[in-house]
Amino acid sequence: MAAAGAGRVSAEAGEAPEALGPGPVPCALSVNGREVRIEIEPRVTLLRALRHYSDYTGPKEICDRGACGGCTVLLDGKPVASCMMLALDAQGRPITTVEGLARDGKLHPVQEAFKTCDAYQCGYCTPGMLLSTVALLKENPAPSLDEIKRGLEGNLCRCAAYNHIFDAVQMAAKKMSASPAK
Amino acid sequence: MDLLDLMKSSIRAPGRLVNLLTIDELKGIDVDTSGATIGALATLAEIADHPDLARMFPALALAAGHAATPQVRNVATIGGNILQRPRCWYFRMAQYPCLKKGGDTCFAMDGENKYHAIFENSLCAMVHPSNTAVALLALDAVVRTAGSGEIPIRKFFVTPDQDILRESALAEGELVTQLFIPATGARSHYLEFRERQSFDWALVSAAAAAELEGQTLNNARVVLGSVAPIPWRIDLGEIAATDEALDRAADEAVRGATPLAKNKYKVQLARTAIRRSLRELARATE
Amino acid sequence: MPDVLTTPAYRWVGHNPPRKESLEKVTGSAKYLDDLKFEGCLHGKTVRSTVPHGRIKKISFEPGVPWDEFTVVTARDIPGKNVVSLIELDQPFLADGLVRHMAEPVVLLAHPDKGMAEKAVKRVHIEYEELPAILTIEESLAGGNIQYGKDNIFKKYHIQKGDPESVWPKADVVIEGEYWTGPQEQLYIEPQGVVAVASPTGGVTVWGSMQCPFYVHKGLKPLFNLPDDRVRVIYTVTGGGFGGKEEYPTLPAGHAALLSWKAGGRPVKIVYDRMEDMWATTKRHPCKTRVKAAFTKDGKLLALKVDATMDGGAYVTLSTVVLSRGTLHAFGPYACDHVVIDTRAVFTNSPPYGAFRGFGAPQTIFPLELHLHRAACELGIEPHELRRRNLLHQGDRMATGQVMQEETGLEGLMWKAMDESKYLEKTKAYREHNRSSTRIKKGVALALFFHGAGFTGSGEVFLDSKAGLELTRDGAVRILSANTEIGQGSFTTHSQIVAEELRIPYEMVEVAVPDTAVVPNSGPTVASRTCMVVGELLRRAASDLKEVLVKSGALAGNGHTPSEFRAAAGKYLQRFGELKVYSKYKPPPDVSWDDKTYTGSAYAAYAWACYVADLEIDMATYQAQMKDFVAVQEVGRVIHPVIAAGQIEGGVAQAIGWALYEDVALKQGVMQNCQLTNYILPTTADTPPIRVFFYENPYQNGPFGAKGLGELPMDGPAPAIAAAVAFALGDRIIPRIPILPETILDAIS
Repeated sequence: MAAAGAGRVSAEAGEAPEALGPGPVPCALSVNGREVRIEIEPRVTLLRALRHYSDYTGPKEICDRGACGGCTVLLDGKPVASCMMLALDAQGRPITTVEGLARDGKLHPVQEAFKTCDAYQCGYCTPGMLLSTVALLKENPAPSLDEIKRGLEGNLCRCAAYNHIFDAVQMAAKKMSASPAK
Repeated sequence: MDLLDLMKSSIRAPGRLVNLLTIDELKGIDVDTSGATIGALATLAEIADHPDLARMFPALALAAGHAATPQVRNVATIGGNILQRPRCWYFRMAQYPCLKKGGDTCFAMDGENKYHAIFENSLCAMVHPSNTAVALLALDAVVRTAGSGEIPIRKFFVTPDQDILRESALAEGELVTQLFIPATGARSHYLEFRERQSFDWALVSAAAAAELEGQTLNNARVVLGSVAPIPWRIDLGEIAATDEALDRAADEAVRGATPLAKNKYKVQLARTAIRRSLRELARATE
Repeated sequence: MPDVLTTPAYRWVGHNPPRKESLEKVTGSAKYLDDLKFEGCLHGKTVRSTVPHGRIKKISFEPGVPWDEFTVVTARDIPGKNVVSLIELDQPFLADGLVRHMAEPVVLLAHPDKGMAEKAVKRVHIEYEELPAILTIEESLAGGNIQYGKDNIFKKYHIQKGDPESVWPKADVVIEGEYWTGPQEQLYIEPQGVVAVASPTGGVTVWGSMQCPFYVHKGLKPLFNLPDDRVRVIYTVTGGGFGGKEEYPTLPAGHAALLSWKAGGRPVKIVYDRMEDMWATTKRHPCKTRVKAAFTKDGKLLALKVDATMDGGAYVTLSTVVLSRGTLHAFGPYACDHVVIDTRAVFTNSPPYGAFRGFGAPQTIFPLELHLHRAACELGIEPHELRRRNLLHQGDRMATGQVMQEETGLEGLMWKAMDESKYLEKTKAYREHNRSSTRIKKGVALALFFHGAGFTGSGEVFLDSKAGLELTRDGAVRILSANTEIGQGSFTTHSQIVAEELRIPYEMVEVAVPDTAVVPNSGPTVASRTCMVVGELLRRAASDLKEVLVKSGALAGNGHTPSEFRAAAGKYLQRFGELKVYSKYKPPPDVSWDDKTYTGSAYAAYAWACYVADLEIDMATYQAQMKDFVAVQEVGRVIHPVIAAGQIEGGVAQAIGWALYEDVALKQGVMQNCQLTNYILPTTADTPPIRVFFYENPYQNGPFGAKGLGELPMDGPAPAIAAAVAFALGDRIIPRIPILPETILDAIS
């Protein structure tokens, strides 16, 4: 991962005590409060683990380089690019995908606001936008327009529903501060 | 993260990876009166949001906060950030056997070179892509490693002339463990120009630092990012904090630039970045 | 909530119900192509050419790869005709002997493991005898290297009204200029993707991300020599198109089907990764235009000559019709007695350029509007005043001879836009500011334009579209149309139209998945025609359906409640089994078009607009940053004001990208910067407030008065922005887009 880039640790540097792979190894993920047990090659990203090795197709593969926000999930409550991290590094840490936002058939206030404000067009970037918004409002329950723009700067929308999205974030913020149950 | 990118693009195919994320000793940020000790695994978000760092070393906090996107800053580490490989298109595309990949051509010389180096670009025109490296160099940081021990950051980055295949002085198998920034009381600032307002590598960045005495900046230095294969440090010594003096210094600093066919505008950006970052230090005095 | 100057008298039209697909899209349960899992699926990959022009000498498969596990397809494996059926029959599905552009498909591979398939692509080696390539418009027209027809020209158009040549010597002022608009990547956020199941016994079935299922259907039949009913194309939820999924999906659909056919009918999925998608697929046509205009001293436009050349790439694909639309928008909403328009699309060894929102119109509106701004500066007349003096009015004739039957309302739109943007105050204040400030220069400017809705000329007649409705078992109504939902809201607006006509709740209208085995061919989802043309077909079908129910005695003729409608539907179905009602396209009575002379009514209806761009340029970094944007338009009746505003905002933002950020770096005819990290799209932080205003002037042949609007917002921003840059730089025109910081630096130094 990131710091492994620092590791100019060569392949010949000696036997590591617990070398994994290249074949499949067990991986236990905690997705939306559920334990997900899969077998994956260690090189598999969190995004592919969610999409291809289990059934969480909400996060999307758009650029596969961490440059679009389509694959955003919450890890320990914070938005991360799931295409740029290995699934094994996410073990034991709570993961939230878009599928985990609605509870008991009731939409999350952010989802409700996106629906009301028509804050999407084609919908492909929407899962990532929703999760970035949830994370933003958790840190900053009443963001200004500039803070919203900055909070969502990692999510590209080519339909450019941006202004509707900003409206939705503001609407959700109001709703959530009025009933801070979530 | 960068390594994963390179593996996806078929630039590197390591036989074995060592996962450092499980080593707790490499994490954390400690700030005391002597300075800041930052674990190599501290994330850019942790650095950007750290109140003591923002107070004592604003250049670093700003540089970390300007990098990439929230999703990336939450995961990317400072160790990984200063050791990013070049963003050069030709380096990043497997089909170009460029010098950095052991080939014999720098494709940027006659190619799309608008993002490339304007200094030190006769062999390979890559630019060093790290924001935080620019700030760390301005702040005279020390790189602590498991290996040789300590490397002053001035000696940490190497030019293509020194070693075409790598960008740092780390030895084979050597690992960055910490970064130490000495508390000197210097003021610092960081800014960058990008093609768009988020989500972009800098066209030119600048970190400035200096100690202040009345209307004079002492030990003033500016480090430019994205203009050369290494963070490009310009030492200005003692300089009056007036617009005229700073403008003159900025003009002087870019005089030796050797822009390529498509990046002349970066010279102007560099001049502006120097001027504005220094002015910001001067402004902080009032 | 956008500003709509109307009082809706309707229950659904003019209101803002949630989109039909809203729940799926906000819960992540919408299944886009790559979200679908198929048992035993193979992953298909495309091996593409690496030279712009060459003869294939040898294809070799590197040892060390378990090739026996792969399905491999080359041109020789094609059971039918190796040609993409579109306008001309010049493009192969797979290069056979000759490659004519970089990234042209040559070999197809499929393997059960996606990673293996990805790796194997690099192990197929194709040797070429390289041939001389044509990489620019100039090289194409220079002769010498002729690769298409006798002159490399795909198509030419000529429109003539009066005689401009006779005017030049007599005019007070004649102004000439040359303009360039660069290619632009559609960058739909969901990449191209298809799944195919194909075999000689089962026929061909394709699922895919696409705008036009029947285009794919038409393309696949000859590829496999199959009749209509043996090819089935099913739309899957589509993550954006913008034209990029108009004609292109036929290629990957054909490829996946060829692989499946050879693999004994196993499903084959092809999903492009981002780099492949940007490298290999279509872009907006680059266009070079010369404009010459004659004026009197007080700004009356006496004569106009426009000469535009588009780079079409290596195959004709849609270039002829893109060029046609460009030609028919080149003269703008102005009255002028002497006009000549000459246009051509030429061959180059680039991947074919293709459909992209606006479809040629943005490329010719840009030069004209920027030229008028230049003329205003040179004549010393305010740019809005120069426009005002030359606007088309009722009774005037366009360059095509089309007579304006009523006032366009454009002057009112212009004043509204100027009002909302505080244009007059700003021009004054910014001039003042720019005199004193050296660091920040400010600019504000406008553009006036129209966009023709629906297919050009007799296109809609040839399309002969058909759409319908059926009663469902539970007494609701289902829309049967091939028109796809790609984010523009077609499922929603169509449902509103049907609900309104039938006087039933919006919730009682469903939309059938566009599946060629289920829905009639209501034509492609392009050309701002979906709401206006297909919406009207559905409205008529709804009217007919109601009449059938009334005539059968099931429904009272004088109004009904939802439950009465449900009961009537149930009664009807019990007696007759099913009810499907179709309606077919009928051209409006007063519209005629002559394809030979290019005269008549090019479009039955036009949307009209005036846009104002407001920006700042940092004179130390030369970056232009949008500050405000006002978009005022008349699009007939607005069916869903929130969705409509979203369309305008989205189009404006894409046009801002085209004007200021999006630079396609070409080398050997193909895009070099094929990543989101180096093809610069504007982000949240670069998007200014976009303030949208609609005037409503109901159009008698559109559903409840609606016209088309999807492409309109792509037309106006670029010239307004370029003119605002000129304003900021003290009337210095930069005649090419994108206007990048280095372009500005070059222009002023």
